[in-house]
Amino acid sequence: MAKTIKVVIIDDESPAREVIKNYLNDFSDVEIAAECSNGFDGLKAIQERQPDLIFLDIQMPKISGFEMLELLDDPPVIVFSTAYDQYALQAFEKSAADYLLKPYSRERFREAMNRALLFVKDKTKQQTIVTGLLRYRDTQKEFLERIVVKDGVHIIIIPVEKLLWLEAQDDYVMLYLKEGKFLKQKTMKYFEDHLDPQEFVRVHRSFIVSISFIKQIDLFGKESYRLVLANGQTLPVSKSGHRRLKEILK
Amino acid sequence: MSLPFPNGFIGNPSIQFRRFPLKACGNDIQNIMEFTISNPILNRREGLYYYLAIWLVIAVLHTLLLRHLHELPLSWLTAILDSAVFNFLFAIVGLGFWYPSKFISLEKGRAARVLISHALASVVISTLWVGAGYAILKNLIFNEPNYQSFLYSSVPIRLLIGVLFYFVLVAFYYVLIYYQHFHQKQMQEAELKSLVRDAELRTLKFQINPHFIFNSLNSINALTLSNPAKAAEMTIKLGDYLRYTLSKNDQQQSTLKEELDSAKLYLDIEKVRFGEKFEFLEEVERPCLETRVPNMLLQPLFENAIKHGVYESLDKVHIKFTCRQQGDYVQITVENDFDPQAPSRKGKGIGLENIQHRLRMTYHQENLLRIEQEAQLFRVHILIPNDARPAWQKP
Repeated sequence: MAKTIKVVIIDDESPAREVIKNYLNDFSDVEIAAECSNGFDGLKAIQERQPDLIFLDIQMPKISGFEMLELLDDPPVIVFSTAYDQYALQAFEKSAADYLLKPYSRERFREAMNRALLFVKDKTKQQTIVTGLLRYRDTQKEFLERIVVKDGVHIIIIPVEKLLWLEAQDDYVMLYLKEGKFLKQKTMKYFEDHLDPQEFVRVHRSFIVSISFIKQIDLFGKESYRLVLANGQTLPVSKSGHRRLKEILK
Repeated sequence: MSLPFPNGFIGNPSIQFRRFPLKACGNDIQNIMEFTISNPILNRREGLYYYLAIWLVIAVLHTLLLRHLHELPLSWLTAILDSAVFNFLFAIVGLGFWYPSKFISLEKGRAARVLISHALASVVISTLWVGAGYAILKNLIFNEPNYQSFLYSSVPIRLLIGVLFYFVLVAFYYVLIYYQHFHQKQMQEAELKSLVRDAELRTLKFQINPHFIFNSLNSINALTLSNPAKAAEMTIKLGDYLRYTLSKNDQQQSTLKEELDSAKLYLDIEKVRFGEKFEFLEEVERPCLETRVPNMLLQPLFENAIKHGVYESLDKVHIKFTCRQQGDYVQITVENDFDPQAPSRKGKGIGLENIQHRLRMTYHQENLLRIEQEAQLFRVHILIPNDARPAWQKP
């Protein structure tokens, strides 16, 4: 006897959840552990219920399906269920993760489900797909508007305008805001590519600074510089960083 | 549809060429040829009358000159005959100067070349003219000896006058050609402007968001499983809504009532998707509903309210529509509450900018759209002038 598969459905439209629940009736040994109408609740349900499989919409209030995924350390098997979305489609095609385009038939759902069940048995496959998906998304050269981070049990949405400076910390980047600092598991390269270069400059291997937060640039020793920020803090500036600063501030 | 023009073609049908009364020529190239070379004087009856009137004046002056200024007075009859023959001849020949003026273009040719061409032409024409006049009059008036010698001695001055006449006429034709071009250009420009405006209006109009359609279909799919009657209802609403949106392509205005009805269909459909997540309220002064407004005016407003209010919020959102008479305007307001914490979405404001642009183009007034933002309220006011005869209706 197969073990029961725990499922969480995350979609902000209740009819969309109804369809999935109805189609799931065809499968025995499936337990619907939770139904959520946004990413926050979804994240909480996943952490609490530890499902094997989730159905995930992408466009949802506050945080998108992708942003929610970023916050999961060990994501379950995912079947996306979404309407027309160009970027998401590209991402799916690249990563070969399964996805359902609304509206979809019972047969199409069954296919996706069978595939997902295979993944549930072999979770390593799923892992590579999700990482591939998120990595693909990172390669899209679109400037960020917000960054979603986890602070203990809280999820915090940071609009990029609030960023003051960023510092590399091993595999993480520390984001400094007026309100405090937050860790995000991304690379400096990622932020360098996804923050508007008219506003954010990589002044050093380990630092990216918002131009509007710079108070002054001091000559510090022979041919080396340092930045003084509006709050008095100083940061080192590398040679190439200084070149980039001059380029933008001229 | 029985429109002879492609869909949505509203501007002036086309520039109408003035036609020669030649019925036989059916094809356009011939018409254009005619247009380019046809003499503007012969084109219209008044043209010819004016032309002949001017020559009559010249002929009278000519006669009086011969009678009074010449030292050997000529008889009235002689003076009249001399004047009539010479001036009639030139009047006839002068009609032909249209062609050299038309073909020796001032814009294309070099000035020296144009001048030389006309100088040569004027000498040849003048010589022929004086020659012909001389031959006729010599044989016509043979019994007046004074006149014969006068005719002979006046040849050089007549040649000079011929050249002068030639240049005056050619100059006149050039002015006419210039005016024609100018007029044609103006008409083309006006035409172009109206075409551009129509195209702009079309693109500015609300475009149905594919996201909305696919999600609605998905909701219908859900309802077929759980509540078929409601699925049927929603299918019909979606159909009505799409029909209204698509049918508005070739018509530029609707009543506010039509607009509101269509917007309500849209909201009903979204209501199925989002259930209790929003509530729609309306406060309408009845007579306002008859106001004519540019079509697809309300859709972007409600779409915005749904997109920035309902899509981005976790709590219930209120969307309120008000419409009332305010002085010389009908004021339309759409307001919704929103979550100020929600990060601004891309594309915000483009829909509103488009409306502003359309209002400006339609009513030729600024500031008909106003945006108000309070703590958690987003409000858009639109003013529609009462005496609104939109631009496209003005004669």
